[in-house]
Amino acid sequence: MPQGSLALLVLRVLESGPLHGYAIAQRIRQLSGEVLEAEEGSLYPALQRMLVEGWVTAAWGVSETNRRVRFYTLTRAGQKQVKREIEQYEQVNAAIRSILYA
Amino acid sequence: MRKLLRRISYLLHRRRIDRELAEEMSAHREMMAEDRRTAFGSALRLREDSHAAWGWVWLERLWQDFNYGRRTIARHPGFALIAVLSLAVGIGANCAVFSMADTLLLRPLPVPHPSDVVTLGSRDVTGLGAAAGLNLLEASYPDYKDIRDRNTSFAGVVAYGITRLGFAARPDALPQLHTGSEVTGNFFDVMGVKPELGRTFRPEEDQVPGRDAVVILSHDLWEQEFGGDRSAVGREVRINGIPFTVIGVMPEGFTGVDHWVSSSFYVPMMMRPRLDGDSRDVLNSRDLRFFTLKGRLKPGVPITRARAELAALGKGLEQAYPATYKNQSFDVRTEVDSQIKRAPPITAFLGMLIVLAAAVLLVACANVAGLLTSRAPARAREMALRVAIGAGRMRLTGQLLTESLLLALAGGVAGVGLGYLGVLLFRQITYPSDLPLLLTFDLNQRALLFSLGVAMLSVFLFGLIPAIRTSRTDLTTALKAGGAAVPGRRREWGRSVLVSGQVAVSLVLLTTSMFLYLGFRESLARGPGFRIDHLLLMSFDPSASHYKAAQDHEFYKQLVERSRSLPGVRSVALASFVPMSVEIDSFSIVPEGYRLPPGQDGVSVMANRVNESYFETAGIPLVRGRGFLKTDTENSPRVAVINETLAAHYWPGQDPIGKRFRLEGWVEIVGIAKTTKYLSTLEPPADFLYVPYRQNPRGHMTLMVESAGEPAALTAPLREVVRGLDANLPIYDVRTMEEFYQARAVQVYQVILRAVAAMGLMGMALALAGLYGLMAYAVSARTREIGVRMAIGANRGEVLRMVLRQGFVLALSGMGVGLVLSAGVARVLRSTFPGDSPLAAYLLVTPAVLAVTMLAAYLPARRASHVDPMTALRDE
Repeated sequence: MPQGSLALLVLRVLESGPLHGYAIAQRIRQLSGEVLEAEEGSLYPALQRMLVEGWVTAAWGVSETNRRVRFYTLTRAGQKQVKREIEQYEQVNAAIRSILYA
Repeated sequence: MRKLLRRISYLLHRRRIDRELAEEMSAHREMMAEDRRTAFGSALRLREDSHAAWGWVWLERLWQDFNYGRRTIARHPGFALIAVLSLAVGIGANCAVFSMADTLLLRPLPVPHPSDVVTLGSRDVTGLGAAAGLNLLEASYPDYKDIRDRNTSFAGVVAYGITRLGFAARPDALPQLHTGSEVTGNFFDVMGVKPELGRTFRPEEDQVPGRDAVVILSHDLWEQEFGGDRSAVGREVRINGIPFTVIGVMPEGFTGVDHWVSSSFYVPMMMRPRLDGDSRDVLNSRDLRFFTLKGRLKPGVPITRARAELAALGKGLEQAYPATYKNQSFDVRTEVDSQIKRAPPITAFLGMLIVLAAAVLLVACANVAGLLTSRAPARAREMALRVAIGAGRMRLTGQLLTESLLLALAGGVAGVGLGYLGVLLFRQITYPSDLPLLLTFDLNQRALLFSLGVAMLSVFLFGLIPAIRTSRTDLTTALKAGGAAVPGRRREWGRSVLVSGQVAVSLVLLTTSMFLYLGFRESLARGPGFRIDHLLLMSFDPSASHYKAAQDHEFYKQLVERSRSLPGVRSVALASFVPMSVEIDSFSIVPEGYRLPPGQDGVSVMANRVNESYFETAGIPLVRGRGFLKTDTENSPRVAVINETLAAHYWPGQDPIGKRFRLEGWVEIVGIAKTTKYLSTLEPPADFLYVPYRQNPRGHMTLMVESAGEPAALTAPLREVVRGLDANLPIYDVRTMEEFYQARAVQVYQVILRAVAAMGLMGMALALAGLYGLMAYAVSARTREIGVRMAIGANRGEVLRMVLRQGFVLALSGMGVGLVLSAGVARVLRSTFPGDSPLAAYLLVTPAVLAVTMLAAYLPARRASHVDPMTALRDE
């Protein structure tokens, strides 16, 4: 997974509603057709950073398998951040493409 | 901002948050297992990474290091004690010296934003007053008005003069002499000081000479005279006999804007002509530079701009009034700068103490650095182990520095305690007077902050290199070697240099203090050249009671006559200057036939206005000619007595009797007096001039009474005599010459000597501890080698000599360097302390130092020679 894109993906999947950590990882895997894998080693530090930045909030709840888990919810700042990150991603992507296929 | 708040709240709740994170991550793992997916990596490591996102790792590491360091230090209490004591000595010496420098030079003015306040004015570049070691900026009142109206650099400029005035809280009370300030109306506004009670001056109260008799009291005077009664404002008091209305009281802690003199009250400058009884027009004369100017710089204006502006202004004045402003140089000085220039001897003395204290600190740091280095091999295994399990070099260095920091902080706390002892010692320096100087030595906030800074600095001096060294332990050797690693040659060489350096510096300290001690003892033994015993001193300032000059004269004439007839009185004299006091009088004279340096109008000479019996009463012998006579009056030809030094200076190889010099008119020399000490017992011979009081009258004089018995017993009858002459005249500074001499000439130097000697001894003790430590360490590191030597036939004597030789080389090389250095120091000191050749100091100190250093080397050597070869070899 390219550097820095994990945050974008996490924020993106949270746009559809609150999810717990494991569900976030699963969703990323499914949506990417089992290509991208959010490993816990990078997922949880990334989530902590988002808490520090104030993009998400966390609240305890019960999972579909009856486990005590923490649900992450996107904040207003987080929603803005998704837009910013997508824009940034598009820019960088376009720039890379123009070099690769020039 | 909110992010910071979130991080701080994390810091406060991190236990809970970490627990939650752990719980969350284990749930993740379980769910993965259910999906038959495998997890990689250590759960702990993953948790630490998530936890690092909050950015507090550095703080946690510091806390860890701190706790670890605390435990490490506690495990070696002996080491810690020596290190902390060493640092305490080094930091304490600096703390004490700083406190002294703070009192003498550095303390800021007691006003808001003191760094914006500067002193301005002009000084005579040809050096009038330079003979007395003074270099002050002064200004006349017209100067003040010009500078005030024509500058663009200052938010405000004030003028003030400090004088002795007689103050009576009630009209019928006996006036007491106090120090008062005559200040311009804007004084308090510009200085930014608000009254505690009442108000400050209104602008119109400083417009018309002699009109507005209003006074503002200092907090202390208000407490003392009115017992802190708030109704004091509005009451009438008398100053020099004139009724004044109290309009305000200054807050506690505001002592005026002079570094040394505390003001008891403040009156408008315009009241000066009525208060001082001076017939000259002080407020309109450009050549009467009686005032000090202080200005508050506008925000952002650098002092250099103000200086340039004032210099230009001075040029303009010189063109307009060439005679008055010739040789006057205008300047602007910061408070510290003006204190340094005001008393160069104090600055030189402080400089010496600062260098000595820095030397003690260096020796102390070398000691601790040596101790830490000698622990490096013992800790090599620990370090290697920590590197092996993944600690970075930086982290290890940080850990070791944290330990050093702990040592330094403990040393700092103990050092402040030691510094306080130094402050107690300095408190013995006093200036006995009824108008005390602001000379209180304190361990204030600034000194504490400074000590903390010194402690921090010492960490880098003693801790950095050993920390880098230790953390750079070679992993394989350290783990393999098992016990203590063999110290590298280079490391031991470094320590040897440290120890030699310590011996060198402490030798310099000891020879210096010995040199000062010998010089001081010698000058005390020779005596000051005037009578100390059986003399009572008593000062008067009749102008403070509003006397006219003629009345002054009549009063003194009666005073001398009536005192002389008291029983138990041998002789009575009058003098304007008491030897060893700081209130020196000086005249500018032109010796006849002497070619003055170009641009100079005269030579400045310290002087004393005395009556005819002064030489007899003060016990100063006349070597040629005569003293003063009753017939040397206002109407007879003007005469003077000069001292031998002045005679040799301007009339070398001639007989000065009958020669003349100009002092507003020709004055004939009628006698030559023996040179005595005037300002300090350690001064080099100085030019001095005596003139008859009758021909050069002055209001403020001191009565010197020689007694047959105990001089203090004459105090009561003399007070009675004064009361008989004028019940309202304040008497002040009543003291015996012995007291005064003791405080001024003996006490001060004893304190200096003790301070220097204490630093020398502490430095020496530290050096000895360092030498002993190094030798003991070397012996223990060589135990095996010594065992082998003894097993193959070396006897105890040979081993003893071998180890002693090592110590001897260290001590001798250190002493060699030390002797060279102290020869340099002695040369510098001899310019201010004229003592005998420093040879005596060397002869006394060097053998003693050699003996104790050899003892420090002998103890470990003896232990080495008692090594049992069997145990030594089995040990390893």
